[in-house]
Amino acid sequence: MSKLYLLIRNSLAVLLMLGCLTSFAQQRVSGKITASDDGSPIPGVNIQEKGTSNGTASDANGNYSISVSANATLVFSFVGYAAQEIVVGGNSAINVVLQSDVTALSEIVVIGYGSVAVKDATGAVTAVTTKDFNGGLISSAEQLIQGKVAGVQMVSTSGQPGAGVQFRIRGTNSIRSNNNPLFVVDGVPLAGGVQPGAANVGFGTNQDTNPLNFINPSDIESMSILKDASATAIYGSRGANGVVLITTKSGKGARKGSLDFASSVSIASVRKRYDLLNPTEFLAAVRLFDGDAEAQDFGSRTDWQDYIYRTSVSNTQNISYSKGIKDGFLRASLGYDNQVGVIENSFMKRLTGRLNGSKSFLNDKLNLELSSTYSNVKREDPAISGSAGFQGDLQGAAYSANPTWSTDPDFNTGGQRSPANMLAYYQSTGTTNRFLNNLTTTYKLNNDLSVKGTYGLDWSKGEAVTLASGKSVNAGNGVQGFGQGQINENRNINHLVELYLNYNKQVGNIKIDAVGGYSFQSFKNEWNWVVGRGFTDPNSFSSMESELRSNFDAADAAASAIYKDYNNWGVTNDLRNTGTGNPTSGGFVSGINLGEKSLEQSFFARPAGVTLAGVAANFYDQTDFLQSYFARGNFTISDKYLFTATVRVDGSSKFGENNRYGVFPSAAVAWKIHEEGFVPQSVSNLKLRLNYGVVGNQDGLAYGEFIRRERYGDAGVGDNREITLPGTSATGNVNPDLKWEQTTTYGAGVDFGFFNDKLTGTFDVYVKNTTDLLLRILPAAPSPVVGLQFENLDAIVENKGWELGLSYSAIEKSDASLVFSGNVSQNKNLLKDFGGALDAGTIYGQGLSGAFAQQLSGGHPLFSYYLREFEGFDSNGQPIGDNQRFIGKTALPTWNMGFSINASYRSFDLAMYMTGQFGHYVYNNTQNAFFTAGSINNARNVTRDVILSGESGFAEAAVSTRFLQSGNFMRMQNLQVGYNVKLNDMKYLKKLRFYVTGQNVFVITKYNGLDPEVSSSPAGFDLLNGLPTAGIDYAAYPRPRIFTIGLAANF
Amino acid sequence: MSMLENFKYKIWIPSLLVGGFITACSLEIEETDSIFTKGESSVFNGVENVAGSLNTIYNNISGQAGDQANLYALTEVSTDELVVPTRGTDWGDNGVWRTVHAHTWGPTHPFLLTVWNDKNNGVLRATEVIDPLSSASALQIAEAKFARAYNMWIIMDFFGVAPFRDPKDGPEVIPTVMTRSEAYNMIVQDLTDAIANLPASNPTAANKTRPVKAAARFLLAKVKINAAVYNGTYGANDLQDVINLVDAIEAEGYSLESDYFGVFRGPSFTNTDVIWNVAAGVGNRMWNGLHYNQSHTGNGGGGWNGFTTLAEFYDKFEGPPTSNSIGSGQEERRGYTHTLATTNADNQGFGYGFQVGQMYGYRDGAAVALTDRVGNPLVFTKELPGLVGNNERTGIRLLKYSPANGAFTEGVVMARFADAYLMRAEAKLRLGNNAGALSDVNALRSMRSNTPPLASINEATMLDERARELYTEGWRRNDMIRFGAFKNAWQFKTAGDGHTDLFPIPASALLSNPNLIQNPGY
Repeated sequence: MSKLYLLIRNSLAVLLMLGCLTSFAQQRVSGKITASDDGSPIPGVNIQEKGTSNGTASDANGNYSISVSANATLVFSFVGYAAQEIVVGGNSAINVVLQSDVTALSEIVVIGYGSVAVKDATGAVTAVTTKDFNGGLISSAEQLIQGKVAGVQMVSTSGQPGAGVQFRIRGTNSIRSNNNPLFVVDGVPLAGGVQPGAANVGFGTNQDTNPLNFINPSDIESMSILKDASATAIYGSRGANGVVLITTKSGKGARKGSLDFASSVSIASVRKRYDLLNPTEFLAAVRLFDGDAEAQDFGSRTDWQDYIYRTSVSNTQNISYSKGIKDGFLRASLGYDNQVGVIENSFMKRLTGRLNGSKSFLNDKLNLELSSTYSNVKREDPAISGSAGFQGDLQGAAYSANPTWSTDPDFNTGGQRSPANMLAYYQSTGTTNRFLNNLTTTYKLNNDLSVKGTYGLDWSKGEAVTLASGKSVNAGNGVQGFGQGQINENRNINHLVELYLNYNKQVGNIKIDAVGGYSFQSFKNEWNWVVGRGFTDPNSFSSMESELRSNFDAADAAASAIYKDYNNWGVTNDLRNTGTGNPTSGGFVSGINLGEKSLEQSFFARPAGVTLAGVAANFYDQTDFLQSYFARGNFTISDKYLFTATVRVDGSSKFGENNRYGVFPSAAVAWKIHEEGFVPQSVSNLKLRLNYGVVGNQDGLAYGEFIRRERYGDAGVGDNREITLPGTSATGNVNPDLKWEQTTTYGAGVDFGFFNDKLTGTFDVYVKNTTDLLLRILPAAPSPVVGLQFENLDAIVENKGWELGLSYSAIEKSDASLVFSGNVSQNKNLLKDFGGALDAGTIYGQGLSGAFAQQLSGGHPLFSYYLREFEGFDSNGQPIGDNQRFIGKTALPTWNMGFSINASYRSFDLAMYMTGQFGHYVYNNTQNAFFTAGSINNARNVTRDVILSGESGFAEAAVSTRFLQSGNFMRMQNLQVGYNVKLNDMKYLKKLRFYVTGQNVFVITKYNGLDPEVSSSPAGFDLLNGLPTAGIDYAAYPRPRIFTIGLAANF
Repeated sequence: MSMLENFKYKIWIPSLLVGGFITACSLEIEETDSIFTKGESSVFNGVENVAGSLNTIYNNISGQAGDQANLYALTEVSTDELVVPTRGTDWGDNGVWRTVHAHTWGPTHPFLLTVWNDKNNGVLRATEVIDPLSSASALQIAEAKFARAYNMWIIMDFFGVAPFRDPKDGPEVIPTVMTRSEAYNMIVQDLTDAIANLPASNPTAANKTRPVKAAARFLLAKVKINAAVYNGTYGANDLQDVINLVDAIEAEGYSLESDYFGVFRGPSFTNTDVIWNVAAGVGNRMWNGLHYNQSHTGNGGGGWNGFTTLAEFYDKFEGPPTSNSIGSGQEERRGYTHTLATTNADNQGFGYGFQVGQMYGYRDGAAVALTDRVGNPLVFTKELPGLVGNNERTGIRLLKYSPANGAFTEGVVMARFADAYLMRAEAKLRLGNNAGALSDVNALRSMRSNTPPLASINEATMLDERARELYTEGWRRNDMIRFGAFKNAWQFKTAGDGHTDLFPIPASALLSNPNLIQNPGY
């Protein structure tokens, strides 16, 4: 363990003692707090003695009582109301009337283990609260703030309900997968818990799920984006990609009891389709390419895009009840979403329940806070895969399907996949249950010092059931006639225990706000999958699923009767490679004897309940730990000069013994220039910020990568329903030096406001250098490691950029308002000092096995295109250009932009928001795979432009700049008009609002695919060299255009 | 409460709470689903389960043999026997197939890296089992030595060197590199040891997936017949050793079988020709060449329309030059294609051997003449226009394993007595015993119907005979190099200077191991 950590441990103790040594003369003040609008008492108002941690809250009747020092100033604050400061000055009774203030909500920003007033923040932190959230059909939390924050790029990987997201804060730091930030929900850092991906039962895998699916977006109060290292250092080894803190609605602000109901209905449709040949044109084109048009005319007239796409109707219902109780608050909510995808057989149904509450005891010395949510998310996904081979996934099949085929699922298409067959005979469903709970206890030791203890529990169980019926044709080998099914199951249990101290003290003109503590988090991850082939009734999904489940139970019972722990088991009539004298049919189990530290296999007879021809299951169970010590001090001098110092020491079980603990320090200073006398009155806010910090990233690193471990290789069921007895193999690698990546950031920023904050803004510049890059690379063969091994590379990823956010309040009247706001950011990415060259960016499609479009190489940005320069077709119609090289273009956007208008006039309000990305290129893999002359030459449908391109029907469609296009776009993402019904003193109904929202209304772009903002990615194990891809569009699930009408009522 | 009491109370409660946690938790992960390496060394203390490790070693050999790309493609597509022409967009695959056939491969070719890593990994896993720390039995060590010899032989044969790692070395230790002769000696020693401890052979055993004495003898004969390639010249006893080894195999009961295509019908190979097979499926081998519309009740998607043979290779066989229809008088080993009349529910239109001319299928209870995807009659042509610009119908497809036996059957033959038999004949020829060689070869030909005896024999006719008997079994590259023919010109490949007899060492291997030196010519 490092010495620094011991130092911090000691410092904490000192801090603790300091806090206890203070004592002052006391006097008691009491009074009643009422609201200005209706004069009713407000419970739960926070009453704080300024400059100390001494405070209390008003009771259910709005009354309070507090002991304060003689010359104290009391600060009365409450969410939704403007704070007031009152000098006690010897008064023993002070009654207060609070003015409601909608802008007050944004004045406080959560920063991790605390919160800070926006005006006192020293780091680059942006908070987005309810009033600024995007409206319409929101399938996961990050969509609420898409485009709202400068320097943040969010790309949902597709338009599928519940699809994953690529969330990049200030560029891409890491060269391996997952550059998403750390998500922290009500203080609990998330890990795992997502739905397992659809298995490959012959149609490719689909791993595309969103980590925030489980949260009901309407439960969210605010989201804070911590962008620079001075802000994220409090999360140490997980802070390198930024941190997103999600705070849910607590019930604060509801004094009497408030019932909210919201309901909306959305209609979604595909915004753009490919301009495919109609049946007549198709047959003419077949003839043009010397095909036999008569033989290709099967008599039907089918628009296959019509066949798989649909106009879908989704709905969302939310009900919540909030109430101030004695010494606390309570909020309960229930939400239901039924989001129906624009492709057949896709939906996401989400049921969430949440209970948040807080209550104080012992004269406000002790406070308990509970935040608890349960969600049940069900999904169905069609056969859409980022790694579909030459036959394409459902969309690829629809693009290339002969438009004269019948839509009978059993229609014989020859060797091509029929979309009708795929829709009818493939089924992928999933269910994820998740329980996230956080209980925080705060105890005030004295006026300045309080201790907080947190226990967080994150439990989840996710399951994906993927079935290919025996009637599916052109699926995987051995599926036809027998069926193939797989159930993937993930179970996660994460525990979080935290204990920390808050210290607030005003000493002269110095204000100290310090926090220090300890955190321990454990991550238990159990997963298993069972695969079966040769079903009793391979043509019924329900029968297949129940057969797979009952077979699993029967075989698992037989296996567990032999060993307590096992890596896998299987039962088949055709058991291979069992060695001389061993059975060649029946069951086997690969046991792991933890006591004896040995691996052994046993055989058993086919259990009576096992009816499948072949069934096998694999089991994993791994637990990691993270232990941390952290401290942060904020020092404010004369309310002008702000200093923040943060350090976190993280110890992670994912690292080798030589680098188990890491230290992540940061520091920031800020100068509130507008507080100086020389600044003119028109400058209402001017703050300069400087920051530096070192943060880490350990994501992507799995359990036990640094030691040699042995277990049985995975068992599967082969094409002929056989099982090959698995052998043992080593996993992990002896590498005691393995450690996290480290990102060092330097940044400077200025926050400004002019004319009484009519014009406000923030501008930041930064340089980030990521070193010790974690990457799976090929070791020198032969190596003790199979395949790739994790190493810390001696190279640097540099991100340099700036970001600007501006807001201008053009009209501020009692019955009218108009606010323009926008943000723009530039980021330049570069990989430096990397000696190797690794191919990346796999391209899929017919004749494209092994093709790739990107390369990772020093001196180039990440995701740089590495392509043949296409120079047209020669006289034989063959493409010119056959030398793959860097072409100076990247998939990473240089510019990100967002622009909003918010306006209100009397009962109407309007919100409009546009987003754009510029400077990047998109590789149209869809066109490469399906829309070339070679396709129509094989009687596969194509887009209209293919016919006259001059390309020979026998030309190879090699990866080239022919399929690369600028990805610049500007999207009208959100347009909402609302009407607030005038309620003339209705007794029960307090608010009623109707609204209409359009999402993805139009896109301005030159990109010729369906949508430039897309990133299809194959599953992790399909990635070339283990490197992620970006900017590749391969028949991605289209992003729909959505219109929503909704109402919100408050009782 | 006095100040002092207050102080104590306020200090001790939180100190206890905080202190309790700070010192507590260990960050050691626990063994839950895997066993951590145990014992003194942090690197290697023997494999946990020798039998399991051997299963993995042999499963890997099987999987690699079942793959159409990588090992198989490098041994066959690189020769005059197979080509994977680009058909419009199909099989472009970034040029991987064309460069293998045209011998224009470079050090970044993905197949080379895959074979390099697969086979080197196989060597290390076997070495781990052999290491005394693993306490393997004599039989297990013999099986591991056979596997190590087989894997190392491929590395040495392909790349001219063989890296070696002691399992007790940490991952920071760069593997040493053995020269070709050093590797040759180690392989010979491993096989000699394996022969001593492997079980005696049963030529009619149902399960031949693990090596027996005959398999090790076969592999040793294979290595020795190539000794001149590896060491510059044959050693004094090398060729006689080949003869003795094959004699020993024959003495155990292996013999030539008369039903040529029946030899390859798995999954159990109880015939006396097959010495060693792996369990891998033969789906890839069959469907990689067949057309999309050549579907089967067990594979509605049909084939993948890739691999074909070349006209020059087809012409090496006896029979009518343009048709290979069933009963046209062609030699047995050329196989046959079905006619409308012979296509039935049983064979579904799939013949054996060289598939040329009109193809037939069985649909809805009736035999039908097949068409390609745009509707032209599915007639496989003998000639190809080149490596690119092909339509769906060019090229003769090869079926050593046939869907007539099922859409996805298993069992890839790795070692046959017929090969050993021809190696012995070749050794006789190389020792100057032309008469003995001719007699042996004609004895083999007499087992194959419509195959007249040869009048004389020399190196060229011996190479051709091996081609006819052993096509698509993974030996063609090895044979052509041994007979000095690999640098010659053939269809879509120009004559070379011989440097392609060795593949280049993969670029990433050179980067990660400075002990390696790139082969000449690359």
